[in-house]
Amino acid sequence: MKLPDYEPIVGKSTIEELRLLASKLAGREIQNINSTYVGGGVAEILNHMIPILQELGVDARWNVIKGSPGFFEVTKKFHNALHGRKEPISEDDFELFLEINRKNMAEMDFHGQTMFIHDPQPCALIEKKAESGGKWIWRCHIDVSNPDERVWRFLERFVIKYDATVFSAPAFSRPLPVRQFLISPSIDPLSDKNKDLSTREIDAAMEAMKIPRDKPIVTQVSRFDYMKDPVGVVKAFELVKRSIDCTLVLVGGGATDDPEGEKVLAEVKAAADGNPDIHIISGQARSDIEINALQRASTVILQKSLKEGFALTVSEALWKAKPVVATAVGGIPLQVRHKLTGLLSHGIDGTAYAVRQLLANPDYARWLGENGKEHVRHNFLITRHVRDYLLLFIALDHSEDVIHL
Amino acid sequence: MAIDWLSDNWREVLIPAAVGVFVLIACLWLRQLVRARLQRWSKETGWKGFDVFRQTTSIPSVIWALTIAAWLAVLVSTIPSDWQENASKGLWTLFALSLALCLLNMAGRLITLWGQHLKTPDKATKATWHLARIVIVLIAVLTLLEIWGAPITAILLAAGILALLVLLVAIDVGPDLVAALQLSSSQNYGVGDYIKLTETGEEGYVTEVNWRNTLVRAPNGSITIVPNRKMTRTTVINYGHPVKKAKEPFRFYSRSHMKELTGLRARNLRELADMLKVVPDSVIYFHTHHFLEEHHYLTSQPSNDLSLWVDEALGDEVLAEKLASVDTFQFSSLQALRERHIAIIEEQLAQGGSLREAAPGGEFHFVKSISVIIPASYQASDIREFVEALRKLSPGSLYFHVFESRLRLGRGLNDFSAWLADSLGEDELAQKVARLDPYTHSLEGLREALVQLIEKEIGEATRL
Repeated sequence: MKLPDYEPIVGKSTIEELRLLASKLAGREIQNINSTYVGGGVAEILNHMIPILQELGVDARWNVIKGSPGFFEVTKKFHNALHGRKEPISEDDFELFLEINRKNMAEMDFHGQTMFIHDPQPCALIEKKAESGGKWIWRCHIDVSNPDERVWRFLERFVIKYDATVFSAPAFSRPLPVRQFLISPSIDPLSDKNKDLSTREIDAAMEAMKIPRDKPIVTQVSRFDYMKDPVGVVKAFELVKRSIDCTLVLVGGGATDDPEGEKVLAEVKAAADGNPDIHIISGQARSDIEINALQRASTVILQKSLKEGFALTVSEALWKAKPVVATAVGGIPLQVRHKLTGLLSHGIDGTAYAVRQLLANPDYARWLGENGKEHVRHNFLITRHVRDYLLLFIALDHSEDVIHL
Repeated sequence: MAIDWLSDNWREVLIPAAVGVFVLIACLWLRQLVRARLQRWSKETGWKGFDVFRQTTSIPSVIWALTIAAWLAVLVSTIPSDWQENASKGLWTLFALSLALCLLNMAGRLITLWGQHLKTPDKATKATWHLARIVIVLIAVLTLLEIWGAPITAILLAAGILALLVLLVAIDVGPDLVAALQLSSSQNYGVGDYIKLTETGEEGYVTEVNWRNTLVRAPNGSITIVPNRKMTRTTVINYGHPVKKAKEPFRFYSRSHMKELTGLRARNLRELADMLKVVPDSVIYFHTHHFLEEHHYLTSQPSNDLSLWVDEALGDEVLAEKLASVDTFQFSSLQALRERHIAIIEEQLAQGGSLREAAPGGEFHFVKSISVIIPASYQASDIREFVEALRKLSPGSLYFHVFESRLRLGRGLNDFSAWLADSLGEDELAQKVARLDPYTHSLEGLREALVQLIEKEIGEATRL
């Protein structure tokens, strides 16, 4: 995808603005580091972001730390603990985390003028700053507003050494002695997951997934993870079904750093208890185009998370002009403005009530969906994300609030 | 001795002399007749071309009469045939040279006349004149060679190749040249006019019309080179000659902003009021404008973050309404706006207002707006360029000149009104723009309202 391809979607002036900002950063070397090339929102964003930054003349690179399965077990526990869940984390776990970071510090080449470190897994690489120099930014994609204090204190000693931190929502931030910026993640409107599809393509995908279309379809697209509350979705669906006949589709892939999925999946299947109107699609077998088609074929899209980072699946649904019902957690309230770009709910009953409201009032549902699409167009597409990163790199060199270049 | 020779050969002298004199008189009579006719036609038609014919042939026609008379005299003479042949060649050479010089003079003056009549660009006239000169000289040289019996096959071949080359160039250049002539004769637009090509949307001032292209300078300073043949085939809107030039051009700025977290948060009204007293202006600006900018696609939703939080997190609809109804447009400084919001909250607190606490996770987070301002590629030297740039500006740029410069940079007036009044002297229009409340429009609605206001003004100015 090239920048001019985005012009029909976001307008010429937006692309001109990006070029103008990038001209102030021409040749700047930005080295991104995270823990995986595939699966999860971070890898997905970087996959689309890096080529665009390069096209703009910014020398953006991307490296991944190497970790053992044990390391990813530990970072998964960290992830849950930072979201506030109690996790049994031993001293050995902390030591393994440090050991893998030290190993990567020794093996990796740190060449960026700006080092952009994503999420907690490679957080301790900051120890390399004294040696390699440059500006270091820690990009936190998860909600750390109510973390397990033990894990947060452990990570905090690294975080405060960065030049700046970036969070996805105001509520995710912590009082820190370093600058904190607010940058929402984004979706790529030209990716297979989000591009326009023809009716024929949608029909073919739905047929391939064997999802009947004789009833309204309610869908949640998310990894099988306790935080996404798929069991809660099944329960809410059972409540909706009492008055409106419909189909539920739960679909989710896996990430290489997410070993918990199978366990959650088994619980969801047990909760569904063989209900023929509940379709559970798991594993990585489904292509992005099929997920795209499923979202487009859905009547209502759910995101009933208990904790969230930002929930890009909500942006994806809104971009397809679908009415969304989502819980008011993490970055969701930034995307779903209640009764303006979707409906917010707080529990199983509230979710079921909102879904019934939308299924029974298609005009209202359509109005919310269209507003949601415009909201995403202006605030959650990759072009806005690229702009924010360019601004971040510029802002790091300035301390004033109004920067004249 | 000479008398003896004459008495013996008087016929050989007299006959050629008589023929020569007779033909000369006839030719001069014919010349006089033609010149009189040309003069009459010139008077009758008013076409100056007849004068050109008359003037340019005035002396050469005498030479032609003399050479024809001399040639016929030589022909009827009894001099040796080789002398006769050489004399004929000499006379025809003289004839051809004078004819060529006459044609060169005539062509030059006719082409100039024709160029003036059709208002052809100088370059087109000169190109035509060069072409005619080449053709005349070439024909003259070939004629002379023919007269003197030189082999001309190779020369004809070379001339043929040259003609082919000229033809190939003409195939490329010709349509543009013809189009240039059409454009000039139609006078649809000229240098200095502001035009718009409806098909491609290109527009700007015409800076040059040459024999191949029309050069159009867009408001961003870029020059578009449009082939003349395209100009004759597309619909062109001509807005006419330049309107009043501004004393200083309006320089548009691109403005992008990002959000910086302050780490400060409020859980209840008391904390909200206390924090509002100490946070920087950039925070006040952010929370009174952020909702508006983020949802600029919606039809006016005059709201601010404070009001939304009080409603959603504290459930105090009455206070939320009071905060939402603060008319930001009436404030010319962020400090005054800050004090107004604090006063409303404190008044509510004094009346024993809501002491509710926001639920954990629902606190109000104070965010600071960081703006990066860069000169954009657009600038406007007059109102027409201004309105054109206005149509193409990014939402951020429009936002900057209307909202941010007025309140955040403390200019008290939006940039557009300031420029219209100070640099263009358009005081009335400036006031109309200043009175336009941007807080009651979506951003695109605001853009449209501004464009309409200014277009109307241009329309009225043009009618005057």
